[in-house]
Amino acid sequence: MIENRVRELRAKYKLTQDELAKRTGVTRQTIVSLEKGSYTPSLLLAMNIAEVLGERIEEIFYKGEEKG
Amino acid sequence: MKMYVTVLLRCLVYVALAFMVYDYLKVDQQFTLFERGYIDNFEVTISNGPGLIFIALTAVLVLLNLIQLFRARKNKQIKTEDILLPEYDHRDERAVEITGRAVRFAFAFILLYSFLVLGSYMMVPNYFLDYIWYPMLVTASIPVAGLLVYLLTFKVLEAR
Repeated sequence: MIENRVRELRAKYKLTQDELAKRTGVTRQTIVSLEKGSYTPSLLLAMNIAEVLGERIEEIFYKGEEKG
Repeated sequence: MKMYVTVLLRCLVYVALAFMVYDYLKVDQQFTLFERGYIDNFEVTISNGPGLIFIALTAVLVLLNLIQLFRARKNKQIKTEDILLPEYDHRDERAVEITGRAVRFAFAFILLYSFLVLGSYMMVPNYFLDYIWYPMLVTASIPVAGLLVYLLTFKVLEAR
């Protein structure tokens, strides 16, 4: 199971879900599902999110048994 | 909202087509019975309402499809070759995945429903005489039921 720190980092950079969605080319519902953990993004989307948040992809997404 | 509209329009297209075919068959059947001497005369009333509705709805659906295609070209995340129908949601990758799953559910439902529809003809043995509308409407109900299952499944999966 892939987990993520998108919500934490989004709050850190003061972005709304809608803003993050627009910058990454997805809908707000996708960001909501992603943060809830019920959706695993594609590699392209994960890279776009990492680019927008200015973090490395492995710092944002990790396997469930590991912690970043 | 867009999906509700396109599914409703598509359902109405099938229903309108079913009524158009029924009107044609109704007249053709009367002519056949008259030719074969079963009846001495007949009178039928048909309207061009279903035909006009069918043409208008088809034009609207084609237009919606073109608009969707045009908008999708601007979004580099979407593969335009995946867009076949306006009912398919291609706003982003999650919508594409949900569309795929909803279509699978709808396909499975259609397979089961068609089985039941075929069997239902046993309950109406004289459909070709007294219930000539039955084959048309029951055939049209197959894609309508599939579309409704697709819509319901999509909305449930989208809400998760």
